[in-house]
Amino acid sequence: MLAGWIAQGNTIMIEQMPIFGGYSGGVEETTICDIATTLASFTIYNANYHLDGPIHIRWGITTARETLQIAAHAAAALDHTDLLLANQYYPVAGPCTEMCLLETAAQAISDTASGRELLSGSAAAKGVVQDKTTGMEARIMGEAAAATCGMKISDVNEILEKLVSSYEGNYKTAPAGKKFQDCYDVKTVKPTDEYLKVYDGAVAKLRDLGLNIN
Amino acid sequence: MAAVRPLNVFDAYDRNLKGKKVAEADWDYKIIPGNATALKEKYNIKFGKEIVPEDKDLKERLFQAGLEMLVTTGIYNADLGRVLTVSEEEVMEGIKKTPKWLVLGENRDAVRFEPRRGNAAKKPVIQGGPTGAPVSEEVFVQIMQSYAQEAIVDTLVNGVMATIEGHGASTNTPWEIRAMMAELRAVREAKIRAGRPYMAI
Repeated sequence: MLAGWIAQGNTIMIEQMPIFGGYSGGVEETTICDIATTLASFTIYNANYHLDGPIHIRWGITTARETLQIAAHAAAALDHTDLLLANQYYPVAGPCTEMCLLETAAQAISDTASGRELLSGSAAAKGVVQDKTTGMEARIMGEAAAATCGMKISDVNEILEKLVSSYEGNYKTAPAGKKFQDCYDVKTVKPTDEYLKVYDGAVAKLRDLGLNIN
Repeated sequence: MAAVRPLNVFDAYDRNLKGKKVAEADWDYKIIPGNATALKEKYNIKFGKEIVPEDKDLKERLFQAGLEMLVTTGIYNADLGRVLTVSEEEVMEGIKKTPKWLVLGENRDAVRFEPRRGNAAKKPVIQGGPTGAPVSEEVFVQIMQSYAQEAIVDTLVNGVMATIEGHGASTNTPWEIRAMMAELRAVREAKIRAGRPYMAI
């Protein structure tokens, strides 16, 4: 199929999600493997861009401290190459919850500061529950990214430390959230007032932490 | 030695067929962890508390370790049970041949996808969507519209239609193809409803 797509002139995205805590081992070893497989995507499979997604073996999420660190270190190590790098989003909490929005924002901040060029998401509730994904999660992903652009990395790391610490103890009891049908008007495709209030609350928390988010 | 040329997928396929035979368990349990640990030690790679690294030297050592991991270990083809290997020169030619920027989408909905270099002032491309999460057939258009209508979103990524005309979209059945075609129509409808018909999918 790849041969056909290349001949057709399509944009080729190669996706690979290294598992933290799997065969590779710890954060450093997983990052080394992540860089190797990212380079393989361009060398062997003629990728035009690479979609990463370091995932935590215990929680099945990309928003954990360790997986953020792996993705950020891999992107920063490859920054000088001008390769186009993307990352994808799998928070543990479901839509219409503050935790889901804060997890998504944390990854957007980390991906943006480490130089990634495209953010793809978000598959809330680990991307495994039917209809538990909505546009509001993409809104926080984009707005957090826009607010991070150009910030000093030391300031970004300070925000991330506080932000990740605020949710990482709650993975086991993460809120399941609501289905799209319960947090949007399905006919008009407008988010409910409840979800807008949850969103405003998450934005206020991010501002308190020092992120100048709209 | 200089690379003959950047590899293409045909070269890679042929090289896969001639690769060294390795048992999958050896690859998973010995070769990958053993080589990754050895390179971590060789390049003295140790992360601190920072999530985003600032140490330029660490970033350079990490790149060298990743490059050496690919060149010395290769890539495993699980179907064939063989290892494809590439040279450092071929990796560098691959990087050189990769487009430096892309345009995603068309006309007024097009977005330029280009290197940012560190935490640049330029915003990353925002690709909104369920990223492969399951989505009901009945609300597929509406869920995709909820992303397409967001001002900050530049391009779309699909969810997976859970059923098609009530049938499961199982792999290797005709329903899989029917579901895929329905997904494409639904995403196009969502873009049109959001007033962004040329947005990239």
